[in-house]
Amino acid sequence: MHFHLVRYFSAASLGMFLLVAAALTYFEFQQGDFFRTTQTKQADFFKDVQESFARRQEEAARRDLLTIHESGNVNLTRLFANALWERDFVPFVEKAQAISVEPCHAIADVKDEKSGKMSAPAGKKACFAEVGRKIMALPGFKELDAKVVDSMKKSSVFKIKVFDLRGVTIYSSEHKQVGEDKLSNAGWRQARDGKPASELTHRDKFSAFEGVVENRDLISSYLPVLQPGSDKIVGVFEVYSDVTPFLAQIKETSTQLKKTADGNQASVTQAAADAQAEAEASSTKTLAAVMVLLGILFAALFAIVRRADGIIRAQEKEREESMQQMAQAEKMASLGQMVAGVAHQLNTPLAFSHSNVSLAINALQEFEAPLSVAGRIADLVRANPGADTVPLKLNSSRAAIEKIRVDGKAAKEIAEMLGDVIQGVDQMSELVENLKDFTRLDRAKLSDVDLNATLHTVVYIARSSIPVRIAINEAFDKALPPIECNPSQLNQVFLNLITNASQAIEGDGEVQVRTRANGRHVYVDVIDNGSGIPADVLPNIFETYYTTKPKGVGTGLGLPIARDIVRAHGGDLQVSTEVGKGTTFTVQLPLSVPVASRTA
Amino acid sequence: MTAAISMSMPMSVSTARGRVLCVDDEPNILRALSWLLQKEFEVVTSCSGREALEIVRKDNFDVVISDQRMPEMSGVDFLREVRAIAPRAMRILLTGYSDMQAVLRSVNESEIFRYINKPWNINELPKVVAQAAEIARTQSAPVPETAVEELPLPAREDAKILVIDDDPQMHAAVEMNAGDLATVVHVTNVVDAVHALQNQPVGVIVSETRLGSVDLTRLICLMKQRHPQIVTVVLAEETGTDLVSKLINQGQIYRFVPKPVKSGYMRMILRSALAKSAQLSDAPDLNGRHQVEALPEEECNILVQDLNAAVQSSVAAKTAPADEHSGLLGGFFKRLFGGAR
Repeated sequence: MHFHLVRYFSAASLGMFLLVAAALTYFEFQQGDFFRTTQTKQADFFKDVQESFARRQEEAARRDLLTIHESGNVNLTRLFANALWERDFVPFVEKAQAISVEPCHAIADVKDEKSGKMSAPAGKKACFAEVGRKIMALPGFKELDAKVVDSMKKSSVFKIKVFDLRGVTIYSSEHKQVGEDKLSNAGWRQARDGKPASELTHRDKFSAFEGVVENRDLISSYLPVLQPGSDKIVGVFEVYSDVTPFLAQIKETSTQLKKTADGNQASVTQAAADAQAEAEASSTKTLAAVMVLLGILFAALFAIVRRADGIIRAQEKEREESMQQMAQAEKMASLGQMVAGVAHQLNTPLAFSHSNVSLAINALQEFEAPLSVAGRIADLVRANPGADTVPLKLNSSRAAIEKIRVDGKAAKEIAEMLGDVIQGVDQMSELVENLKDFTRLDRAKLSDVDLNATLHTVVYIARSSIPVRIAINEAFDKALPPIECNPSQLNQVFLNLITNASQAIEGDGEVQVRTRANGRHVYVDVIDNGSGIPADVLPNIFETYYTTKPKGVGTGLGLPIARDIVRAHGGDLQVSTEVGKGTTFTVQLPLSVPVASRTA
Repeated sequence: MTAAISMSMPMSVSTARGRVLCVDDEPNILRALSWLLQKEFEVVTSCSGREALEIVRKDNFDVVISDQRMPEMSGVDFLREVRAIAPRAMRILLTGYSDMQAVLRSVNESEIFRYINKPWNINELPKVVAQAAEIARTQSAPVPETAVEELPLPAREDAKILVIDDDPQMHAAVEMNAGDLATVVHVTNVVDAVHALQNQPVGVIVSETRLGSVDLTRLICLMKQRHPQIVTVVLAEETGTDLVSKLINQGQIYRFVPKPVKSGYMRMILRSALAKSAQLSDAPDLNGRHQVEALPEEECNILVQDLNAAVQSSVAAKTAPADEHSGLLGGFFKRLFGGAR
């Protein structure tokens, strides 16, 4: 499995940084919203306060106006009463009292359909209008009216009405209102009970002393008329005074206030908007700063991780290279061991063949004299055809011939020597044949192989390098199917396992190499009856560089490499062991190499 | 010519120059050895160590030749048994391949006369066998070797151990283990070693194989050649089958132990070396059993060159009078080569 450190780190940390940035942005917006809402609420509150303040101010001004005018009207009434009541009104009122209004009062009020209020029906109004006409017809009305108009001229009073205690309008500066009934009027009733009542009204049209006026603000006050010198209420006045200019002033003030308030409001809103803008700008800056810092952090981490990745890769490569070197060394070591064994194996036939050939050459030299004597006798026999005897002149050669002591055994012995040499040569060629089979240099990488045959070769090679006290026995399944494999690599594995097995045996022992098959796999068991693998060693045996052999003897790579090779074939290497009884290594191989392993 | 005649003659003890037992698990080898040796010797063969031991027990042999790699019993084990059963017989190991352990045991346990590699030389092997047979027939046999440990030790003042090593720890170790048994002389360079050998009778040499750049094996071999009564123990950093087999054949070393040497083992070895030394000086005719292969001429020349170089550097270092050293060297050479030239 490949782990792309830089890639994974970049993806993970970039994702994380984006999340952080998004979260920060979200919170900043949230905060901005909250700030804006608060600002708006504050502005609204401020507006309410200002408006309420302005309203109250106007209300107060109006109330003050009413109060001031009411008390003015009260004074005016007093003045009026003092000036006119005793001398002019009392006699007139007395005369008017004579006019009965009982019949008019007897007419019941009706309920208005629309407003639901009780109001006087037309008959009642007409009745009271009749009463008014009678009053105006009374003597002294015209004088009285003249006096009132005269005294009220040039004042702010627009209208005066006088009521008797029956509620009848005795006098009105607007003549057509004389005789009207006020008995059910709340203001009138309040005044009759001794308390003045005033109200501010706006009239579009109003008949004043000096004619009809338009669009006026008026204060109407119902005022009790007290008998001079006593607290006795003798009648009710109604006075209309014009407060249009005052009210205009009040309105003006109010408008001013409102304007100021609006100005304030505007500046507050502006300030809020500025603050908001500033806060937003500042949060944007903060965000930007955080982003930049995160970016720098990412860049720094990326640089570190990249560097670390580079170092790790370099180390990995170094480790791999040293592993390869060690694997090569292991291969060379086992090769060296094999070569030593083979050399020894070769040495035996070489030794006796060399010795025998040398002896045979020496012996053949001994045959020179007997053969030349035999040759001469043969010449003599041919020169005397048909003769029973031939003359042999010994002369000087007697001494040489007497020395000859030879029989057929000598030649036979030479033949035996050379026969042994043939055996030796056969042994050597068998060895060479096995070596060729073992290395399989002439074969394709993957081929269909009869494992029994290659194992036989491996066992042959192994015999040459392991002690002779250890027997290697073959227990092959004759029906073992051929499997697809790299025989050269597997031979290395089997030789390693057999060598290990022999090293586990102290003294005499046996290594059995067994093959078996089921439908999908073949199994090669290398079984020894050696010392077994102790429990504390067993978990480490496939660990790279782990070895229990002395330094320089074992590299700790044999088994790991063996397992790598078997796994590259899609198989597995397993071990079962019992201390004191022996160990079995089992190589399990599929009938054909899986596609995934072919590239390896 | 006589050899050819004897080939056809029936074997007889009287005409044979000795009785030889050959042991090898390979019958072809035994046949080849028979053909090679039967002209001169009475040859008996056996293809297993155990069977051969029975033969040795029953019969008397001058020379026993054994292969090393054999099933059941290795050659070294067989020859060790032969040494105990028949100390008279000269033991030769004839091997195609031997691991280091076997070579060391062949020195220390089997005390073999020669270590010979296969394939053998058909001219040399009969000569070696003849030499061994001659020794066995003419020299007296030692007491059974198992008794060496019980042999009387020489008096301390008569016994001298020369330690040639540049590692001070080795000197301390020898002093500690054998200081009570013998006088221990320490030298750390080859010039001092020559000086010591010239001036005092040395019983036992404890030596490295190498001092700096100087190869000591030639000196060891030459000393044994000239003075067979010297018992040599080699305690060495470097080992190798070739090195040890050369020291066997040309130096007849008594023991070879790779460093580091355990203290108790060192005492045992030194004690038995001193006993052996005493045995050899008491019975000089035993020396013949440790005859060496003569050091080849060129090896002698190299040794002389080494010694000269060492003297030169020693003179340069000590600024001692050159005359003294050349005098010393001259004396030494006279002692070493005197008999040969």
